[in-house]
Amino acid sequence: MASVHESLYFNPMMTNGVVHANVFGIKDWVTPYKIAVLVLLNEMGRTGEGAVSLMERRRLNQLLLPLLQGPDITLSKLYKLIEESCPQLANSVQIRIKLMAEGELKDMEQFFDDLSDSFSGTEPEVHKTSVVGLFLRHMILAYSKLSFSQVFKLYTALQQYFQNGEKKTMEDADMELASREEGERKMEKEELDVSIREEEVSCSGPLSQKQAEFFLSQQASLLKNDETKALTPASLQKELNNLLKFNPDFAEAHYLSYLNNLRVQDVFSSTHSLLHYFDRLILTGAESKSNGEEGYGRSLRYAALNLAALHCRFGHYQQAELALQEAIRIAQESNDHVCLQHCLSWLYVLGQKRSDSYVLLEHSVKKAVHFGLPYLASLGIQSLVQQRAFAGKMANKLMDALKDSDLLHWKHSLSELIDISIAQKTAIWRLYGRSTMALQQAQMLLSMNSLESVNAGVQQNNTESFAVALCHLAELHAEQGCFAAASEVLKHLKERFPPNSQHAQLWMLCDQKIQFDRAMNDGKYHLADSLVTGITALNSIEGVYRKAIVLQAQNQMSEAHKLLQKLLIHCQRTRNTEMVISVLLSVAELYWRSSSPTIALPVLLQALALSKEYRLQHLASETVLNLAFAQLILGIPEQALSLLHMAIEPILADGAVLDKGRAMFLVAKCQVASAASCEPLKKAEALEAAIENLNEAKNYFAKVDCKEQIRDVVYFQARLYHTLGKTQERNRCAMLFRQLHQDLPFHGVPLINLL
Amino acid sequence: MAASSSIVSVAATASSVPILPSSCDFSNLREIKKQLLLIAGLTRERGLLHSSKWSAELAFSLPALPLADLQPPPPITEEDAQDMDAYTLAKAYFDVKEYDRAAHFLHGCNSKKAYFLYMYSRYLSGEKKKDDETVDSLGPLEKGQVKNEALRELRVELSKKHQARELDGFGLYLYGVVLRKLDLVKEAIDVFVEATHVLPLHWGAWLELCNLITDKEMLKFLSLPDTWMKEFFLAHIYTELQLIEEALQKYQNLIDVGFSKSSYIVSQIAVAYHNIRDIDKALSIFNELRKQDPYRIENMDTFSNLLYVRSMKSELSYLAHNLCEIDKYRVETCCVIGNYYSLRSQHEKAALYFQRALKLNPRYLGAWTLMGHEYMEMKNTSAAIQAYRHAIEVNKRDYRAWYGLGQTYEILKMPFYCLYYYRRAHQLRPNDSRMLVALGECYEKLNQLVEAKKCYWRAYAVGDVEKMALVKLAKLHEQLTESEQAAQCYIKYIQDIYSCGEIVEHLEESTAFRYLAQYYFKCKLWDEASACAQKCCAFNDVQDPD
Repeated sequence: MASVHESLYFNPMMTNGVVHANVFGIKDWVTPYKIAVLVLLNEMGRTGEGAVSLMERRRLNQLLLPLLQGPDITLSKLYKLIEESCPQLANSVQIRIKLMAEGELKDMEQFFDDLSDSFSGTEPEVHKTSVVGLFLRHMILAYSKLSFSQVFKLYTALQQYFQNGEKKTMEDADMELASREEGERKMEKEELDVSIREEEVSCSGPLSQKQAEFFLSQQASLLKNDETKALTPASLQKELNNLLKFNPDFAEAHYLSYLNNLRVQDVFSSTHSLLHYFDRLILTGAESKSNGEEGYGRSLRYAALNLAALHCRFGHYQQAELALQEAIRIAQESNDHVCLQHCLSWLYVLGQKRSDSYVLLEHSVKKAVHFGLPYLASLGIQSLVQQRAFAGKMANKLMDALKDSDLLHWKHSLSELIDISIAQKTAIWRLYGRSTMALQQAQMLLSMNSLESVNAGVQQNNTESFAVALCHLAELHAEQGCFAAASEVLKHLKERFPPNSQHAQLWMLCDQKIQFDRAMNDGKYHLADSLVTGITALNSIEGVYRKAIVLQAQNQMSEAHKLLQKLLIHCQRTRNTEMVISVLLSVAELYWRSSSPTIALPVLLQALALSKEYRLQHLASETVLNLAFAQLILGIPEQALSLLHMAIEPILADGAVLDKGRAMFLVAKCQVASAASCEPLKKAEALEAAIENLNEAKNYFAKVDCKEQIRDVVYFQARLYHTLGKTQERNRCAMLFRQLHQDLPFHGVPLINLL
Repeated sequence: MAASSSIVSVAATASSVPILPSSCDFSNLREIKKQLLLIAGLTRERGLLHSSKWSAELAFSLPALPLADLQPPPPITEEDAQDMDAYTLAKAYFDVKEYDRAAHFLHGCNSKKAYFLYMYSRYLSGEKKKDDETVDSLGPLEKGQVKNEALRELRVELSKKHQARELDGFGLYLYGVVLRKLDLVKEAIDVFVEATHVLPLHWGAWLELCNLITDKEMLKFLSLPDTWMKEFFLAHIYTELQLIEEALQKYQNLIDVGFSKSSYIVSQIAVAYHNIRDIDKALSIFNELRKQDPYRIENMDTFSNLLYVRSMKSELSYLAHNLCEIDKYRVETCCVIGNYYSLRSQHEKAALYFQRALKLNPRYLGAWTLMGHEYMEMKNTSAAIQAYRHAIEVNKRDYRAWYGLGQTYEILKMPFYCLYYYRRAHQLRPNDSRMLVALGECYEKLNQLVEAKKCYWRAYAVGDVEKMALVKLAKLHEQLTESEQAAQCYIKYIQDIYSCGEIVEHLEESTAFRYLAQYYFKCKLWDEASACAQKCCAFNDVQDPD
């Protein structure tokens, strides 16, 4: 179960997990582009209901918001946008701007004087507090604040803007008609201008404070929710540098640059940006009088906290702990409980490996509820559930807790946490070995409409929870032998989380594991061995385990044993129960492979006890299988059979296809063995039943391409048919066996010794 | 004109006046003096006042020439004669800062001199307008965006001329300046290098190059002309890059060959000594300089820093009053006054004067840092952080600002947070013990004693200024019960103090003796123990050396 709490970092543009635009104060000013938009608004007001069709009007209204919020664009682009929604209006806007730009200064002055008319009258065209109304009023205010020289400058800028637009449209027209000579002439001209044009592209002009804020919040929310849609790291950094060049005091840009640097895993620049941001924030905190000293101290605390988060993100746990200690100390000194709560959560994240960390977490949840911090509280609950799941607590209690926190999420519309919760349920169900439930939860997350899409039009589909759910889905499909479906899911993952993105490691590991399993099934051990390095890079423990399995399959028993013992000690220390049980099973297999099943028994019993205690059904039934097999070898098939009857039900219900096949195969073997002493008629009956079971097992093995196992099954079937005297069937099976046997290498392990 | 035979072919085609790229040796001081006088005249004619001033100053430091050796003014060419009237008029306008008017009358002139003045007036007019606009821009975000509108046109025109190889040394210089203002650093460096090849005597081009080179590696890869001017350049840039040893060596050489009277060199040496914190030497040199050139304002801020460090109140007060009389609206003056108030603990007033200095020149780096220090004194940490951040924005390599930021956060009791800043400062000044001691203290606070030990040891190894590293190291060893090493450190500390021969009271001396006495006592070295114990008796604060 992967941790789903990486996104715990504090983001100043975010409260309770929702990204907001950071509004420090509305600062805007008139630019030629804004004048063009004002003209558009004015025109829209002037043309009556009848002149513009309803469809066009709707399209125009939709166009308005991006125009008001977005960065300045060139006149020709603006025309094109308007033309797309309403050609008729575009024409009149064009004419009016032309008149204004080619006229005199007084035309512009007159225009602004007339603007305020739209508010007057009994039924004003624009409501004063509407979005458009606010924009109009901002513009009028900004215009009236301009000094003499500024007004003139604005007018010349407008003329310039208009001329550039004209030139552009002229050029476009030229391009179409261009005769050859003209084209050549222009080529020369362009060559000269090329270097200058490049500059123009690189600095696309300043953004107003509002536009900059919009840009930042948009990019920040994209980074959080759907990284692939955001600008690429390089181009985003370029934009930010540009922004900072025009306004070095715009501190939020530094924070975004920090987030951006995190994307490319650049420790150095991200530290730099983060500290710069907080140095700057401290200023604004000190300047704003409402916060006063309080705001200043606050940013200090969060600065230290964020530094801790940064170090944690890069795996510098010791550094992170130091920074966190600092944050806690300062927060304690100033009695900031909210900050302390954040610190507590982080303390848990850092101390996750320690056994007593759940105490911290319980405290954290209680306090967070007390201080009314739903985000932190339910994050705490989720972590707690995760930990309890590993500690083997009752599933119903965990699900109850998750349900309660879900209530909290829906109440506060914390969509991010809802996703995490579902992903976590998927993981928990898988941990307990209930693949159907896991499948159902994963599907639910994927087909659920996120709350966010209602809020901001951003589909939240690039988060860790989605990656986790999809990975589980891929593994579940692979378990059931639907490899095509699994690779389809993985392909989708690759698209959604490109290899250099934050959560890509999840699917990489998942992909390699599936490939490894397939290679092992196929008997291509060298292939599996080559995959081990990749797995080790992503998850060292898993890698060691897989290495041991490969060694075992290649009959290098002593090496495998050494590796497994080491792994066992390590996992017992880190309380990785799942892995401990798997390792114990492998050790047991080693024992009975080397013909000493008696030693395997205590090991298996230990594994069984553990898996029962932690309620890991999947592992428990696998242990039972092993146990039954050991008993079979020891010559007590009746016992084995009764043991198998206990385990067969969960395996057939939830187990992987391979396990199903192995179980059926084992049942058949036991049936044959226990029938040995029976009277002939009963024996024949038992053998018939065994053949049936073998057929079933064969089908299961065929699903996951386990040729070796199929070979064994066929061999066994042939022997049984032989005993029953059914020559024709026997010959058929024998031929099949012969075919398979020629294809496969022989590993020198006696048949009976394989489970 | 003995050296004229060595004219490089580029120079011959590109420069209108026969300026002689001179050879590297200083044997012929007369020749050098002649060249200096010539270039001073040429730069003056083109309105390049600072270069002219520099050349003239340097020329003044050399012995006067006899009449026979004085050079006639360069011959007037046909082109010059044509443009003479326009040039004379325009130069007059230029001198009274009516740049547009000057450019208007120079339009269409063909001679190199007139063309340069034409372009230069346009450039300056753009700069002047830019400064005026900053006050009157359309919006707050536009404030960084106001730029010299003329730059782009100038660049296009100059690049055409450059490609046609029609630019002389001055033209190249102007082209380089335009490129630098457009942030095209790489191209600018290339052009400045070319300018130094064509016209090595023009100090302005060298100085611009100095500002663009950020590290030693860059310097290595420049192909510079082999002239005596290069020595001045190298010395200057070594000072800038904090390679003080090399810089001092170069300056000493220059003095040895006969520039001993140059106030420029003397002041540079003083600055270099200031940078390696050899305060006494720097002070004496500055005092000498003041005697020679009592109305000099340049570098006096550095002088005041030295006086400040030594707490020489009366001298600083005298300097401040004197400079105030000379010119109170100079950045340096404001800085000196700021330092003066700071020394008198009138920090509000000090901050005020530093602010004034910044109003006079917003890119004057030192003032931001000093203002930060003042705010720190006033316990206004947020304003201090702001000031330091500004300083870093102006120059990322300002180690004092990084150090100041570190100190601020240390005062705010965030030892881990300030590590980053101290590290930055340490990176910039790897051999400065103060940063290392600060780092060590932070590590000590964070209970990372191994790192702290390393820092203190390194601080001692690079030459500890405050003589505290060893004591701190000893105490750390003491804490870790590594008594052997602790004793070693204390011994070294005491040796250091006595070899220094300073009578300044060292608080930790008694602690050292006391520890040593105990240590020897434990080691059963009775004689040494009693000797140390007796030393202890001389101090009041150690009563019971048990």
